[in-house]
Amino acid sequence: MSALDEFRSISRSRRRTGPAGTDEETRDNKVAAIFLAPWLLGLLAITIGPMITSLYLAFTDYNLLQDPKFTGLENIRRMFTDDRLAESLQVTFTYVIVSVPLQLVVALGLALLLDRGIRGLSLYRSILYLPSLLGASVAIAVLWRLVFGADGLVNSFLDIFGVDGPSWVSDPDTALGTLIILHVWTFGAPMVIFLAGLRQIPRELYEAAATDGASRRRQLLSITLPLLSPIIFFNLVLGLIGSFQSFTQAFIVSNGTGGPSDSTLFFSLYLYQEGFTSFRMGYASALAWLLLIIIGAFTALNFWASKYWVFYHD
Amino acid sequence: MKRHTSRALRAGVAAATAGVTLAACGVGAEPVRNPELSDGDVTISYAWWGAEARAQLTLEAIELFEEEYPNIDVDPQYAEWGGYWDRMATTTAAGDMPDVSQFDQIYLSSYADRGALLDLSGVSNILDISALDERILETGRVDGTQYAVPLGGAANGVIINTTLFEEYGVELPDTSDWTWDEFTRAADDLVTASDGEVRGVSPFADSFSLGVWARQQGSEVFDDEGVALSADVLASFWQRQLDWIDSGAAPSVDHIIETTGATLDQTDLVTGRTAMAFIPAGAFIAYQSAAPDFDLDLVNWPSGDGIEPGFQYPKPTMYWVAASTSEHPAEAALLIDFLTNDTRVGEIFGLDRGEPANPAFTEAIEPDLDDTGREALAFSESVAQEMGDTPPITPNGASTLDALLNRYTQQALLGETSPREAAEGFINELTDSVRAVD
Repeated sequence: MSALDEFRSISRSRRRTGPAGTDEETRDNKVAAIFLAPWLLGLLAITIGPMITSLYLAFTDYNLLQDPKFTGLENIRRMFTDDRLAESLQVTFTYVIVSVPLQLVVALGLALLLDRGIRGLSLYRSILYLPSLLGASVAIAVLWRLVFGADGLVNSFLDIFGVDGPSWVSDPDTALGTLIILHVWTFGAPMVIFLAGLRQIPRELYEAAATDGASRRRQLLSITLPLLSPIIFFNLVLGLIGSFQSFTQAFIVSNGTGGPSDSTLFFSLYLYQEGFTSFRMGYASALAWLLLIIIGAFTALNFWASKYWVFYHD
Repeated sequence: MKRHTSRALRAGVAAATAGVTLAACGVGAEPVRNPELSDGDVTISYAWWGAEARAQLTLEAIELFEEEYPNIDVDPQYAEWGGYWDRMATTTAAGDMPDVSQFDQIYLSSYADRGALLDLSGVSNILDISALDERILETGRVDGTQYAVPLGGAANGVIINTTLFEEYGVELPDTSDWTWDEFTRAADDLVTASDGEVRGVSPFADSFSLGVWARQQGSEVFDDEGVALSADVLASFWQRQLDWIDSGAAPSVDHIIETTGATLDQTDLVTGRTAMAFIPAGAFIAYQSAAPDFDLDLVNWPSGDGIEPGFQYPKPTMYWVAASTSEHPAEAALLIDFLTNDTRVGEIFGLDRGEPANPAFTEAIEPDLDDTGREALAFSESVAQEMGDTPPITPNGASTLDALLNRYTQQALLGETSPREAAEGFINELTDSVRAVD
């Protein structure tokens, strides 16, 4: 809103500069339009267009090869009796609710450690950031199978203590856990943002608190966390949106099946299976909109709740 | 008034989606009748799935074709199995299906029923399929229309790692005529002799082995009406696997699930972790070349009392199809004709795409075959005597058969449901998805 106000006031002041200004203004607008055009075209062609199409398809029976047939609310009715949808929602919610906070805690903890001004900070930061670059890649997902497999790294380690571990990726009770660990492991991006946020907190506050005899714990709770809360909020929103849409990890670790026994059937993986394996693109489109609504609702809830815990100090 | 609005709205939505709809409209155009070859330059696309070795062979064949017909340029498109079908679905939806594609029976009805494939009788002036056996040709028809040219058909066999049996001093029964009891005893003996180091058998892994199992019980997975499988037969299919797992003849459930969908060189049979498995005979050569340290053998399924004869059938290995949307149906037909009838292609391909359906191809490659190749041919010759009727191919709506089977197999083997309950769930879901497209 404020950016818009600023823009208005600028254009208003331009207008006041006299007759020469009008020419300049139209030229500026044209230039702006030209600069915006590539982005605008992209937005229309690869975001808005497909979105409108998929909204229409959500109310059709569309098998990819023949014309879509309008079926009204049939796809929505189908959602209520779809056991696999319920399963995939349960898996996705478990994943999001466990992995997002866990990742934030790990990222924040490491950021606090690194913020103490240790030597070689940039090296540590780079090393710790590395998993974020790799985590979503196919190669790491393949590696994950090897780490958590029956003869994997984890079990070789447990073997030292005489523990004969199971195959973590093929047990329905633990398979999702391995994916949560994979997600938590990619803590680099939020960590770097936390680090930047920690740098913004004025040092005087800590000095004053120390003078008053506040313990480190007290400083963390009364200075660091409140002043960092906008950053935590930002990371939380991004993390939620991202993990609701997780696909690659589950696709690779389960060979595209969402198995064992649907225990890693992420929502987007189920959507993909319906659209491209079962040729039910109409239903898959409806599912995509359901996901959009769920993410929208969660984000709205987040913003609403933020009033109660996020502190903007300026 | 209200009606008016809704019509306007619908028109708007329709206009917004015109792109997609128009693209799909290409399907179902005028049928092609005896097209003429063009004199000018023509480019056709040609798609197949498979490993790098197959790509090299196929590119070699394309080169030969382009030499023969200099005005035709072939654009090769190849991918691994999984990505291949994703791409096939999306390009076909966009009205841009490759002119010639390698196809599988599990998707044949799905694409044919949706009008994506060219009726090959319309190009019979160019494409000659008379060299192929009627029983094989039949597997390329959907509702009596020839949409696909089969490359060959092969039975399902038991692959045996004889090196392991020798190493642990376990005698194999006479596999030319063995029973399930003998099979299980051999598996158990090997586990005992190797102290659990080697497991006797990898359980059934695909819908092909389910089909043969069902036929052994006098049933079928599909008949002309749709899903024909009974819950009893399917439950017995899983019960047999559970028995092997419980007795230790097969690896643990964990391990089986972990290796589901593994690439061929990572399968337990190739790594020597198990000594026997059920495979499509066409894959035998690939197994042997992936496991050069082992001497592998391919034999018929066990049978015995109460087992129906004629349970084997030549399952079509793969097909050539042309797109109904092709702008160059004549050239597409010419390429398929070349791939089907030119013995030089047969020599280049060898047994890479399974045992050829064209007898002239088999004749051409026989002299140059290595031991493995000869073994594969010997197997199909011996099984040929016992082949029963060919069941109908996978119907439209059932192209998720293997994914579905995999999911319910995991449920049954993990003990989340009884084999009987899993069988009922599987049959219901399969029946629903076949009916949904009728």
